[in-house]
Amino acid sequence: MSLIELKNVYKIYNEGQENQVNALDGVSLTIDRGEFVAVIGASGSGKSTMMNILGCLDIPSRGAYLLDGQPVGEKSQKELSELRSRRISFIFQGYNLIPSLRVWENVALPMTYQHIPLQERRERALEALRAVEIAAKAENKPGQLSGGQQQRVAIARAMATRSPILMADEPTGALDSQTGRQVLELMRELNAQGTTVILITHDNSIAAQADRTVRVMDGHIVHDSLRDGILVPAEARSEVRAS
Amino acid sequence: MNALRMALDSITEKKGRSFLTMLGIIIGVTAVLVLVAMVTGYNSDMTAYYEKLGVNKVTVKLTWYDSSRSTDLTTPLYEYGNGELAQMVDGVTPDLSTQLPIQYGGKTVDDTVVYLGSDQYSICSNYILESGRDILPQDIENRSMVCVLGSYAADDLFPYTDPIGKTVTIGGFPFLVVGTYYQKDGGVEDSMDHMAVVPYTVNRTLLRSDRVDSVTVKVNSSKNVEGVISRLELWLADRIDSSVGEYSLADGNSAMAESNDEMTSLSVVLGGIASIALLVGGIGIMNIMLVTVTERTREIGIKKSIGAPRREIVGQFLMEAGILSSLGGLVGIVLGFGLSLVLGKAMYGLIVLPGVGISLGAFAFSLAIGVIFGIYPAVKASSLQPVDALRAD
Repeated sequence: MSLIELKNVYKIYNEGQENQVNALDGVSLTIDRGEFVAVIGASGSGKSTMMNILGCLDIPSRGAYLLDGQPVGEKSQKELSELRSRRISFIFQGYNLIPSLRVWENVALPMTYQHIPLQERRERALEALRAVEIAAKAENKPGQLSGGQQQRVAIARAMATRSPILMADEPTGALDSQTGRQVLELMRELNAQGTTVILITHDNSIAAQADRTVRVMDGHIVHDSLRDGILVPAEARSEVRAS
Repeated sequence: MNALRMALDSITEKKGRSFLTMLGIIIGVTAVLVLVAMVTGYNSDMTAYYEKLGVNKVTVKLTWYDSSRSTDLTTPLYEYGNGELAQMVDGVTPDLSTQLPIQYGGKTVDDTVVYLGSDQYSICSNYILESGRDILPQDIENRSMVCVLGSYAADDLFPYTDPIGKTVTIGGFPFLVVGTYYQKDGGVEDSMDHMAVVPYTVNRTLLRSDRVDSVTVKVNSSKNVEGVISRLELWLADRIDSSVGEYSLADGNSAMAESNDEMTSLSVVLGGIASIALLVGGIGIMNIMLVTVTERTREIGIKKSIGAPRREIVGQFLMEAGILSSLGGLVGIVLGFGLSLVLGKAMYGLIVLPGVGISLGAFAFSLAIGVIFGIYPAVKASSLQPVDALRAD
C-alpha cells in the first residue's frame, strides 16, 4: 500500500461555465513512504492545486485520493482536520506564521490540536527550534525575524509535530540562494529521518535536489522521473488524458 | 487558555475599536440599570410619602340618601374604635378638611389646609406635638375654638414669638393656638406642614354643617387591617339601614400597593425599552466580528492547515465576542451604579442603587448577546476551506 495515491483526479473551477478551468485534468500519482519528491511546473500548471489536494486543504472535483489507503473524499471536516493535524505538515513560501504569537508558540500551536500538554509542547518546540538553530529567538514575535529565520521557524513547526508527511510549497521562493540551500538541507535531514517530503517548486535547480521529480503542465503530469527515467523526454511518456 | 489569551491580545491590539464595539453594550446596560433604579427610587419615594401620610388607615365613607334621616356615627365609631377594637386600633378621627386663610396681626397665610379632627387626629396622620398641647377630648365636647398649627403655618405667622396662647383668625373666626406640630417635611413644597387642626365639632361654625361623611380609622399594624375592616363591616351594617344610606370601606394600604404594582410594570416596560439598546449593541458586536473574521481569514487558513479543528476556530471568535460583550456589561454596571447614585440623589434625595439581581441579569444578558451575535461570524470563519482562507492577504 502506497502512502499517497491519486487516481485520475480532476480539480475543475467554474465547471460548465464559459471560463471553466481544469486545474488538474485527470492526474494519477503514487508516492511511497520515505520518498523525497519534487513537483515541478510553471505557474498555472496545477502544481499548487495538486499540493492543496495532497495536503487535504482542498478536495478534488472528481477522482479518488487515498492517504494511507483511506479515501480522503469520504472524510468529514473533523476527520480532515485530524488528518492535517497528525499526518501532514506544511512549509509555505510566505512562511504562514501567526504574527501575534511568539516564535515558540507558533511552533507549539499544531501540538495544541494534538492535545499534547503544555510542558511537552514547549519542550518539543524548543527542541525543534534548536535543530534549526533559531532557539535564541524563541521568545520573539515572527515579525522581528528575517525571512530565512521565519522559514526555519516554519520548518521547526513542521518538525515538532512529527508528522510523517511534509509538504513544502516554494519554501525557498522568498529566500536568497544561500538561505534557500540551508532550508533544503534541513528538509533533506528530515527525509533522512524517515519523513516523506513533497516539494513544490518552479525552479529546476531546486527540483534537482529531490530523489524524484514530477513535472506538471496544464493540469497533467507530463513527466515522472521514477517511471520515465531522467533522460526520457517528458512529453513522450505523459499521462495525458482527455477531459 | 490559549484561545483566551489570543482573544485578549486581539482586543487590546485594537483598543479604540474594541471600545467602540463595547459602547453599544455599555450604553444598553447602563440604561437598563439606571432606569430600573430610578423607578425603584421613585417607588421608595412614594412609599416614604405614604408612610408620612400614615399607613394602615381604613377610611369609612358614609353616603346618606335622605339627610333628614341620617344619624351621626362619628361618636359611636370613635367609641367603638377606642373600646371594642382598642387592641387593633390606634385612633379614630373624622376625615374632614377645608382650605382657609389664617391671619395673625398683619400676616396672612393663604390656603392653609384646616383639618377638622378628633383628639386622635395627630396619631392618625403621623403628626408629633412640638410644643403646647394637642386637641383634647373636652375640646371636642365643648366645641372649643382652639387649634394646633403645623410647622409651616406656625413659622410663617409667628417668626419671632411663641404662638401658644395667641389668638389667630381662621376663616373669620378667632381660634386660640394651643400647640404646634413638628415639621413632617413631606409632599410637594412642605404641603404637609402647611396646615392646622381644629376640633371637628366646630364644623357647625366653620363649615355651617354638622355632617361627617368620612372617618379614618388608624390600625396599629398592617396585619390587623383585614380584621378591622371585617369588624367595621358588620358594625356598620347593623347601624345603617340600606334604604337610608350606604357605607364603603377603603384600605389605605391598597393605594400604596397599587402604586407599587404600577411602578413595577413601568420598570419592566422601561427596562425592556432599554434592552433594545443592548440588542443594538449586540448587532454592533456581530458587525465588528465579521470584520475581524475577514481581517483574519489568513490566520484562520494557517490554523486550519496545521490541523485546527472547527470548534477551535469557533471557540476563538466566540471567546472574543463574549469577552467584548461581558467587558461592556461590566463597564455598564459600574456606570449604571455611578449614574444611579448621582441621579437618585438629585431627583429623590435618596441613595438609589440598582439591585444585585438586575445587575447580574444585565451582565448575563450582555454576555449572552455577545455569544449569540458572535455565533454567525464564528461559524462563517470556521467553515472556510483552508485553501481559500490561505489565499487571502
